[in-house]
Amino acid sequence: MEERGGRAGGFRKDTVDRLLRLHFRDGKTRVNADAQLLMAELLKVFVREAAARAARQAQAEDLEKVDTEQLEKVLPQLLLDF
Amino acid sequence: MAAAGEERQMLAQRLKAAVHYTVGCLCEEVAEDKDVQFSKQSIAAISDITFRQCEIFAKDLEMFARHAKRTTVTTEDVKLLARRSNSLLKYITQKSEELASSNMEQKEKKKKKSSTAKGERTPGEQEAAVTENEDSNMA
Repeated sequence: MEERGGRAGGFRKDTVDRLLRLHFRDGKTRVNADAQLLMAELLKVFVREAAARAARQAQAEDLEKVDTEQLEKVLPQLLLDF
Repeated sequence: MAAAGEERQMLAQRLKAAVHYTVGCLCEEVAEDKDVQFSKQSIAAISDITFRQCEIFAKDLEMFARHAKRTTVTTEDVKLLARRSNSLLKYITQKSEELASSNMEQKEKKKKKSSTAKGERTPGEQEAAVTENEDSNMA
């Protein structure tokens, strides 16, 4: 991976670290650097997957614009896959 | 206590904004690929879902690490998070191996020519070696 330290495909490493630490129950829990980069990658896949599935739904309905309605239809399966 | 709660709220707002921005960029890429448009509401909804999903991810990762008697979340925990979908697990495992091997390269650069034979290991072995190192750091 070329973007070490900085942007790892969309999400910044630091943003990912803060996002995770916001929800940890134990203040001692840390995330190592590689895990931060891998989580940034996973979040990117999550977002692109959500967008791509909603786009496919819109196309199946012959729409040019994706709205929340299409997203709502693909959301249950998306959440089951993650 | 109230001040700490307020600070946490402000941090959460900033993080939500950061997520929203990144989601916007990623949706634009998908929009170009698939030749569709995304409404503002749909982008906001994906951001919100992603932010909420982070809470589930974070709590799972913490549990996985604790289950392995660690306080530091490693790539192994992230791989466990991606276990539900086969293709996702394959993709994440491959990315994790790339990270591990680029770490090896960096270490090798530091050591210079001291160990040229090590460069010929398989990706799997490299990954295992890096994981061992990480674990020993934590003890």
